[in-house]
Amino acid sequence: MDCQDVKTYLMAYIDGEIDSQKKSEIEKHLSGCEKCIKEYRSFLKLKEVTEKMKFTDLSDELWAGYWKGIYRRVERSAGWIFLSIGAIILLAFGVFQFFKEFFTDPSVSLIVKMGVGAFSLGIIILLVSIIRERLFLFRTERYREVER
Amino acid sequence: MMDEDKELIFQCQRGKMKAFKTLVEKYKKPAFFVALGLVGNREDAYDLSQEAFVRVFRSIKRYNPEHKFFTWFYTILSNLCKNHLKRRGVQKSHLENIDLAQDVYSPDVILEKNEINLRLWEEISKLPYEFKEIILLKHFHEFSYRKISETLNIPLGSVMSRLYYARKKLKENLKDILD
Ligand SMILES: [Zn+2]
Repeated sequence: MDCQDVKTYLMAYIDGEIDSQKKSEIEKHLSGCEKCIKEYRSFLKLKEVTEKMKFTDLSDELWAGYWKGIYRRVERSAGWIFLSIGAIILLAFGVFQFFKEFFTDPSVSLIVKMGVGAFSLGIIILLVSIIRERLFLFRTERYREVER
Repeated sequence: MMDEDKELIFQCQRGKMKAFKTLVEKYKKPAFFVALGLVGNREDAYDLSQEAFVRVFRSIKRYNPEHKFFTWFYTILSNLCKNHLKRRGVQKSHLENIDLAQDVYSPDVILEKNEINLRLWEEISKLPYEFKEIILLKHFHEFSYRKISETLNIPLGSVMSRLYYARKKLKENLKDILD
């Protein structure tokens, strides 16, 4: 093993992820190479220092509330779906009521009624979708402000 | 363990909230601490890791059971964190003389706030994203090379070389306290 090979396997050696064959080859090289042993020692020192640093845990209260926060977000998106469906149904019903005479007029052919109905429904769905998107953007942008 | 995850995900795909809750309870700690290392403060880490779970739930039907759950989850979480850092960078870039890393990498999250740990935390925060990521997985989450390779979806050889360059960079930046 030369210095370049040692470089390749040095991390595995330090982290104990190496087979015994390579391990003894590295050790053989290290015992006779000043440059590599120096590099090895400095990596080892870094590993020691890094392993001592730990993060503080969250309070039990925050951990307990973790799932609730997720559930709330999932539920909220389900809420939006129902809200949209509701809005579409109510608006469609409103349009139907408003043009009731047209829709119940027997002299207008069914195909025209269906065309007007589909056209109105399309507009309503687009409208609801745009309003939803606007509200959502407003909500997230405001949230980002708070976050800062 | 993998079969347990597969079963849970299968249940989630059929809309079972209880299974999703079990999945969240199982992975909430690694999720939070991974995010904490990447974005540096509790508030953002809490929020982003929760958001990752929400995205998991929304796209659970697209989950490929060939992959391990945590690998998939990690990709979602890591992307959220990366975008978050980018956004934060853009917001800060027009303000001069502000050390980007320092005001968002909170020293509060360090258990033992001695000089060495605080310096180390600061230097980790300044590492390029890919270096930071691999240092965190190795040291703070004690992942094996195999697990890192699965999580980052890179070959074992790349794990070793990336770890080598990441540690080398960190070591150079910490020269004054390591000698
Ligand atoms: Zn050598």
